[in-house]
Amino acid sequence: MTDTRLEVRFDGVQKTFGAAFAVRDLDLIIAGGEFVSLLGPSGCGKTTTLRMLAGLDFPTGGQISIGGRVVNDVAPGARDIAMVFQSYALYPHMTVAENIAYPLKKRGVAKAERAVRVAQVAETLQLGALLDRKPRQLSGGQQQRVALGRALVRDPRVFLLDEPLSNLDAKLRNHMRAELVELHRRLGRTFVYVTHDQLEAMTMSDRIAVMHEGVLQQFGTPSDVYERPANLFVAGFIGSPGMSLLRGEAHGGTFHHPAVTMMVDAAGGLVLGIRPEDVILGDGPFTARIRLVEPTGHEQIVALALPGGDALTARAPPDMALHAGDNLAWGVRVPRLHMFDAASGKRLPVAPAQA
Amino acid sequence: MKRGILGHIAFNLLAWSVVFITAFPLVWMVITSVKPQFELFRIPPTFWPETVTFEHYVRLLIETPFMLYMRNSLILSTATTVLVVAVATLGAHSLVRFRYRGREALARLVLFTYLLPSVVLLLPLYLMMVWLGVANSLLSLVIAYTTFALPYALWLLRSFMQGIPDDLEAAALVDGATRMEAFFDVILPQALPGIISTSLFTFILSWNEYLYALVLVNTDSARPLTTGVMSMLVSAFNIEWSLLMAASVMMSLPLIIIFAFLQSYLTRGFGAGGVKG
Repeated sequence: MTDTRLEVRFDGVQKTFGAAFAVRDLDLIIAGGEFVSLLGPSGCGKTTTLRMLAGLDFPTGGQISIGGRVVNDVAPGARDIAMVFQSYALYPHMTVAENIAYPLKKRGVAKAERAVRVAQVAETLQLGALLDRKPRQLSGGQQQRVALGRALVRDPRVFLLDEPLSNLDAKLRNHMRAELVELHRRLGRTFVYVTHDQLEAMTMSDRIAVMHEGVLQQFGTPSDVYERPANLFVAGFIGSPGMSLLRGEAHGGTFHHPAVTMMVDAAGGLVLGIRPEDVILGDGPFTARIRLVEPTGHEQIVALALPGGDALTARAPPDMALHAGDNLAWGVRVPRLHMFDAASGKRLPVAPAQA
Repeated sequence: MKRGILGHIAFNLLAWSVVFITAFPLVWMVITSVKPQFELFRIPPTFWPETVTFEHYVRLLIETPFMLYMRNSLILSTATTVLVVAVATLGAHSLVRFRYRGREALARLVLFTYLLPSVVLLLPLYLMMVWLGVANSLLSLVIAYTTFALPYALWLLRSFMQGIPDDLEAAALVDGATRMEAFFDVILPQALPGIISTSLFTFILSWNEYLYALVLVNTDSARPLTTGVMSMLVSAFNIEWSLLMAASVMMSLPLIIIFAFLQSYLTRGFGAGGVKG
């Protein structure tokens, strides 16, 4: 399955702008043919990472390799990559056909051959009727397809996608998500996908690299980052509504929080993480007051105020009778709880137990 | 409704009177140039010429060095325009796209040169031309015009280039273009309206310039139209009005032709530059 010619490696890659780190000590191995998302809030270094891989920004340290070849000093055009930009970056003065043919033209592909390849791509992406139009005459979705076509036409080793769906409306975005996954499966090429949208990352990727402040936080499958977040940042960033984080102290094998007590095999400052779906409402050893109920149709999101002032978010079935201001008993699915070290933020390999 | 019509009429009156005030000297220039000499000073003056004659044009073209001046002006303005636009386009691209120390300061400094009245630069420039050994030549004028057209051209083109998304060039690079190819394939076509308006600005500036041409050039072989026509037809004792008007008409022709072709680019260009600058 994995093809080393398509492998992408970051070895200790750094990027500084003056004194500020954009990317710090990045080690990342993306297997050939893998769909990897770089996920994080804006300013986390994900776009810089992609641009360094494309050759548009230069690392100030470390090595980047594609297919076993170090590409630090290789021009973007010689890296055998294709890139789809958030703005699409279609050449406004060229027709759709000329846009798609441009990468071939720059590589000296003969005119007749170019026409054949453009026609093939146009058919795949249903752009046939638009080939003579200029980009400004196209809708956002059509422009997006042309940008994709320009990337597809050359069959590169690695596809780089920089938030390609963020300018589309919600419905089209869902559609294009499925289409990109399908495309990736069919082409078998390596995809590196930058996004701040965790839904995109979770649904499309083989693996997700979560970044924050220039540092890689966790690199794992979607279920890895969701079920076993490596630290407090990932725990808080992944999941919507987010994980509730309760800060407390552990001594003598017991975790103490004003609202919650747990048996735990650790000591010192700890943070207990509870996903909204792991809260059991109406039954359990703890109590809380309902602050807000938000029905979404297929469920209710419940904001609870805990003794001690912390907040807890829970999911509830749509037909459960819940009223703001009422007090409520609650419990948790203990095996699904998360424990972090409060000082380092790191996940602790301990399983809490019901006290 | 009635007020609407009245307002409409008032607006048109105003607009047409502006057009009339602007156009009358030009019309008068054309009319005078085709009147026979004896009709010029008749009192009361005639508006339409009683006889139309092109003798002044013929005399101008055959008996005077007018064509030499015209040639000089064309060479001078074209050379200045090509030089200024070539340097300003690359310079503006650099100011917008590349990061280097002092980039912003440089961009501001460029505008700073406009704080000095051009008269102040006249003598130093003249001395420099003498020192360079190019005084009294077309080249000296090209250099002089470039010194004051270039900063403005740079500034104008910079605001155009700022309106071109970075991603376009990045996309071209990823698609396999070299930096130069990306510049010519993608940046240049996008900047074309800006380049055209900058060219026009520079061309008009060098075509109409008088002061530097008067001071820096002192020989007929390198005189442009502005100073050439003046020294040829205007003396302390006599002004050859007919010839002067004919010369003026022919001096305006190249600009009128250029404007006619590029008018839409010009307005679009200055508009876009203004908004983004």
